[in-house]
Amino acid sequence: MNDWMFFLLLFLTPVVSSVPIVFAYKNEGWTEKLPYLSVFGIFVSVLMSLHILFAMEGQYSYPWIPELGINFVFMCDYLNSYMGVVTAVIAFFIAIYGLDYMKGDYRPSWYWFCFNLFTASMLLVVYSDNLFLLFVGWEGLGAASWGLIGHWFRDDDNISYVGKAGRKVGPLELSWPPSSGGWRAISTIRFGDVPMFFAIAVIWVLSPTLNISEIEWGTLFVSLGAAGTIILMLCFLLGLFTKSAQFPFSEWLMTAMTGPTTVSALLHSATMVAAGAFVFLKVTWYIEPWHLHDVPGVEQIYTLVLFVGLISGLYGALCGSGLLERKVLLAATTMSSIGLMFAAGAASFWIHHEVAGMNFALLVAFWYMATHAFAKASLFLVSGHLIHATHSRFLCGGFEFGKRFKPAFIVTIIATTFLIGMPPLTAYWIKSGMDEVMEHLYVHEPHIILPIILLVTTSLIYSAVMARFLSLNFIKGDKPEHEHLEGGGLMKLGYGLMVSVLFILLYLIFTNEETEGFVHAGYLSVSLAVGLGALIVYAIALFIPRISIFSRVPGTFFSDRMYLPFLNDYIVPKIGFFIAYIVQEFGNRGIDGFFNTRVIPGIFRAISRGIRAIQTGPLSSYVKIVLGFVMLFIILASIGGISL
Amino acid sequence: MDLTMIMVALVILTLSAVLSYKFHALGLIGAVIALLIGLNTCSSFTYGIFVFAIGIINLLSLSALKSDIQGVDYGLVGLMALATMYIFNTSDFALVLAALVLVSVPTYILVMLREGGTNVEVGIKYITFMVLATVLFLIGAIILVYTKNAFNGFLYVLGYVMLVLGLCLEIGVAPLHEWVPDVFASADPIPISIIASLAKIVPFIAALWILVYTACDMTGSITIFTVVLAVISMFTGNIGALTSKEHARVLAYSTVAGMGYLLTCLVVAAKPEFLYLALTGGLLFLFSNAAGKIGLFNAIKGKGAYSLLTFILAFSFIGVPPLMGFWAKLFILITLAKMQYFWLIGIIVINSVISIPYYIRLANELGVKWEANLTNFICLAAVIITLVTVLFVPVEWFVTNMEAIAHTVGIAL
Repeated sequence: MNDWMFFLLLFLTPVVSSVPIVFAYKNEGWTEKLPYLSVFGIFVSVLMSLHILFAMEGQYSYPWIPELGINFVFMCDYLNSYMGVVTAVIAFFIAIYGLDYMKGDYRPSWYWFCFNLFTASMLLVVYSDNLFLLFVGWEGLGAASWGLIGHWFRDDDNISYVGKAGRKVGPLELSWPPSSGGWRAISTIRFGDVPMFFAIAVIWVLSPTLNISEIEWGTLFVSLGAAGTIILMLCFLLGLFTKSAQFPFSEWLMTAMTGPTTVSALLHSATMVAAGAFVFLKVTWYIEPWHLHDVPGVEQIYTLVLFVGLISGLYGALCGSGLLERKVLLAATTMSSIGLMFAAGAASFWIHHEVAGMNFALLVAFWYMATHAFAKASLFLVSGHLIHATHSRFLCGGFEFGKRFKPAFIVTIIATTFLIGMPPLTAYWIKSGMDEVMEHLYVHEPHIILPIILLVTTSLIYSAVMARFLSLNFIKGDKPEHEHLEGGGLMKLGYGLMVSVLFILLYLIFTNEETEGFVHAGYLSVSLAVGLGALIVYAIALFIPRISIFSRVPGTFFSDRMYLPFLNDYIVPKIGFFIAYIVQEFGNRGIDGFFNTRVIPGIFRAISRGIRAIQTGPLSSYVKIVLGFVMLFIILASIGGISL
Repeated sequence: MDLTMIMVALVILTLSAVLSYKFHALGLIGAVIALLIGLNTCSSFTYGIFVFAIGIINLLSLSALKSDIQGVDYGLVGLMALATMYIFNTSDFALVLAALVLVSVPTYILVMLREGGTNVEVGIKYITFMVLATVLFLIGAIILVYTKNAFNGFLYVLGYVMLVLGLCLEIGVAPLHEWVPDVFASADPIPISIIASLAKIVPFIAALWILVYTACDMTGSITIFTVVLAVISMFTGNIGALTSKEHARVLAYSTVAGMGYLLTCLVVAAKPEFLYLALTGGLLFLFSNAAGKIGLFNAIKGKGAYSLLTFILAFSFIGVPPLMGFWAKLFILITLAKMQYFWLIGIIVINSVISIPYYIRLANELGVKWEANLTNFICLAAVIITLVTVLFVPVEWFVTNMEAIAHTVGIAL
């Protein structure tokens, strides 16, 4: 089989396999059976991604518009090959879960097509080396996410809302239906996509190639100068920050929870939000900023990303500590984790340390991304099952409930403990690497202590939030009003498979060459101290998941997400309406007057009258006019001819 | 040899015209034979076949008009078509001018034809301007050719302006278009369809030929005169058509606008290396314009034609791809782009947009249900011409032919 066939199957099978269900949307019998075909399509992608991981390496290029430097270029390097497998496998497990979860839904065709398109788009983002091609996948993600988040567009079931109905703060009601969730997502993302596209266009103009691995980044930055580099990268990063819901663009992610849980799981693990951080790592991989210390503007950019990441990390964790909705709590922690990925990736600027020929900071960021993906996807899938079982999107369920709902309980224990950085479980080793990286920023250049402080604080709060999630769902939560524990075999299979990967990752950390650095970092006393701190906080929060004296302040402040919704739903729309007012009053009236009511119609009327006034009928008057013009032109020509 | 064959064709035309007093059909047969001979002698088959097709449709449409000189009118149209085909065969200045006169004079008679009499008033109006046009054109041409041998800047400008003014009067470019709306609206639609189609080709080619032949350093600066006239004509024609009700008048103004587009092709005189592009654009424009005008004027005569056909013709006028009208405008725009007239491209595009409503309105009002009659068959034939570019896509074959012609002209120069 030719190489291009593998790529074709990788990207197209998910999409093609979900086309039949689109055409069968009116036939209930078929829409019950055809999801299996869609899942099979993703399975093919899993096989292809595994083949690429084990059998293909380097760049593969196929012509598209070669004259413009736009081609189908795929890069099968360490980062892309592993991320491809992570994406495909997670999508596949979630799809299996979805077979049960979406049963009886009112528009399965819409769901499965968007779900598979979403997966294919993410795979395109992952493997693309060409920035333009990557942007195609990027936009596919945006469009499909809008379709999936707003899947229950009828807004007819309160269980799919985000926020408490009737909770008002000032002029805003902090409750969002699915249709609003879809809109908030696409509008925020578009806000970043446009500058990102602009940045790609600038690179296209200035660089002979659009292939990430071939662009001479250093030369490009030098030619742009400090200000140019900062503007270019800011535009590019706006796309990544909005997609990855970094502060202050995080609101869409919280209300994206209005979509089906499978969507939340996919969005929050290996796709969509991860896409921004992943593209940052992917680009940094080839920018090699640690070699560009002499190039003006680069340090400022990486410092900005470092702090945006860390602040987002802390913000997400703090909000998570106050949130009471299952999925929204997880969404906040996702934002936090993605922030840490950005921060670790950005730290690569100051880290020269290489393991197996790869930058240590980037390896840390990537491995954290992979571990987080499986752990968080497991937790989301459990949440979905819990929502089905309890008919509530709010945290609830005591120990009795936990005992009766063992698979979900066990998976939650594994996923949370493996994620928080508790020794000696998977994330501990990676987080240790991250601690080492941030410590490096203090001990060596740029000698700033804030990153390590922010990281440790975030890690501890994060631990507490995870413990809180476990405790309030299975140990110390209120008794659920409904209990529906039967069935859901495929759902259990889905999250069971998902969480089991965490063990594989733990095994890989100890056996792979490139992860030796994590193990080494794990034995350092600082890492051990942070890990034990996380463990202690986790244990305390498990037994005291709620602190009543904090429930109003800062609890409410955190659960209202520090009133950031005001930026999204009040301040920005007000600015928008103001611009609309200006445009309407001063722009549209002018345009309307010019084109529609006054100037142009007036000119047309005058010309038309003039034309008709000439057309009087008598030959003599025509002759006069024509001869007049002829004489005029000949006189003018004579004058012109003499002067020439 | 060519000239001998043309002489033979002319003799056949004359004889058949004379005999057609007795037998009407003979006039038609004679004209068709003459056209076949003309096609056979034409140096470019691609060009010839288009002129032949337009000529044949013009001849057929004449049978819808029961004029007093039926039979002879076929001969007149045959003569025009023959002269049109011959224009590329010669590089002789005198013969080019002769062809122009041969195309022009028959229209003096044709314009007056109507059922049961002659339309003298229209005839006088038309002939007055045509005579003036021919005189201006001929004097301008002679002055220009004179400057080729003994250059004189003043005379060149004067000759250029007179030739262009003559052309403008002949084909109806504003502000010298006053005769067009009145004549188009008062004469019978059938002869007008001939004047608006076949009669436009030779003046354009002759003018282009002479301007390229006599081009000098001053050509680049003086072309602005042509461009200004073209722009005035486009706006006058389109706004006039947009605000007219009578179908024939709408078509008259659309001719004024169309001739504005065509006139822009003359800017190529300053850079003859792009002559083939201007020829491609100009001739495709003339052919699509001819097909459209024949179809729609016949529809006026026949009180409507099949709506599908009228709409296709309208779309071709507007320039909807892949109809011939689109390729015509595209090549005109390419020529202008090569000549760096980007603002003019913008004006042409704006004018094309302005023209959309009235063409659609015309197609709608003239469109009726299908009926097997002469009008519909003529319209169908016209539509087939506009669809040639659809059947043989891309139009490179036409461009190649025009390159060959431009090359021949280049050698002649």
